[in-house]
Amino acid sequence: MISTIKRLFVCTLVAAFSFVGFTQTVQAAMIGTEQIVAAENAKQNQARISAALERPDVIAQLEQFGVSKADAQARVAVMTDEEAAMLAEQIDTLPAGGDVLGALLLVFFVLLVTDILGLTKVFPFTRSIR
Amino acid sequence: MRRFPCWHQLAPGTAILLLVLLLVGCATQTRSLLTSATDTLPRRVELTSVPFFPQERYQCGPAALAMSLTAAGIPIAPDALVPQVYVPAREGSLQPEMLASGRRNGALSMTIAPRLDALLAEIAAGTPVIVLQNLSLPLAPLWHYAVAVGYDLDRAEIVLRSGTTEREVMALSTFEHTWARGGYWAMITVPVDRLPATVDQAAATKALVAFEKSAKPDRARAAYHTALQRWPDGLSLLLGYGNAAYAQGDREAAVVAFRRATTLDPNSAPAFNNLATVLAELGQTEPAIQAAERAVAIGGPWHGEAMATLESIRAKKRDAR
Repeated sequence: MISTIKRLFVCTLVAAFSFVGFTQTVQAAMIGTEQIVAAENAKQNQARISAALERPDVIAQLEQFGVSKADAQARVAVMTDEEAAMLAEQIDTLPAGGDVLGALLLVFFVLLVTDILGLTKVFPFTRSIR
Repeated sequence: MRRFPCWHQLAPGTAILLLVLLLVGCATQTRSLLTSATDTLPRRVELTSVPFFPQERYQCGPAALAMSLTAAGIPIAPDALVPQVYVPAREGSLQPEMLASGRRNGALSMTIAPRLDALLAEIAAGTPVIVLQNLSLPLAPLWHYAVAVGYDLDRAEIVLRSGTTEREVMALSTFEHTWARGGYWAMITVPVDRLPATVDQAAATKALVAFEKSAKPDRARAAYHTALQRWPDGLSLLLGYGNAAYAQGDREAAVVAFRRATTLDPNSAPAFNNLATVLAELGQTEPAIQAAERAVAIGGPWHGEAMATLESIRAKKRDAR
């Protein structure tokens, strides 16, 4: 029984390692388009090169912002280095397009409240609490 | 409020006037567009076939993207896009994710130039444009994605699919204010056999390389093919085409593309390196070694990769003996 498990384990390992070896040879031989273009752009923009390192960060950040782990991984996988870097740095400050309602109401409310507090006097119908 | 430290000292009339001025400002792009001779743009366009998906609360990103993708021939419902772009804690969707999601669904997605004439030119060419607006003021921003589907220069209006309104007609100057506060950000999604009207080579290349990263090789190859029709001498485009053809298993086509790249730029180490690799796999060992030696001689940042390629081809040759 144990020897069967051992044999299975060894077979799996051998299969896994030969596959790893195979992909590495292919990657060492061909230079990908993204690498080529990134190297050209690197002369102008150094920041992009390090962006690949930030991907786990971006996934963690998306999770913090309420996205499920599986969704976050799938989302980050299709991002370019530039997009990943942008998200990593600005996830809490980038404009988040969301709604059409509410803002004018909010400005109205802010001014209404500041009026009532006596800090402003924009509306003729308000009376300060002081 | 810090910007107006004396707000509370102002007379109400002045305060309101200031607020109005702040809102009105001057819509410079609209004015120059309407006054200058724009013979290149049709006076009036409306893409009536662009579908309308009313948004749910905070979901204008998925809705706008679904309209844009469906118009590009990739039918998808907003609900399917929520897990791809929506960020719950931000109650909205962010621009890098909007672009990435467009690609994930098989379209080329790219931003366009931050100019009103480019925006209208895309609509005139038949492409609806997703725009980011700040409908409120910078001090209380209200970010919103809408899809611009039409305009009328004589009436100075733009037509949007926005929120729960299928056909929102907005004064062009008002639109410019809201769009300016959104940083003039606009994106499009197009099928792989069509390139946007206003995009330049650099922007297209960037979008294509991003697309190749997650697309199926045949889609990526088709997209590069489309771009090469417009820019036959795009080196990165040729290399991308070659790499996509190679990934697809079409080594002959890859060789043709890489050969052409090496004639276009005899100092492109990646072109020679990739050519060498594919030639070696096709059994053309001698030409492969020549190409690899050329890649090594050019050196630069790719010296290591070129050396590895040359070594592996030589090793293969030794083994074959």
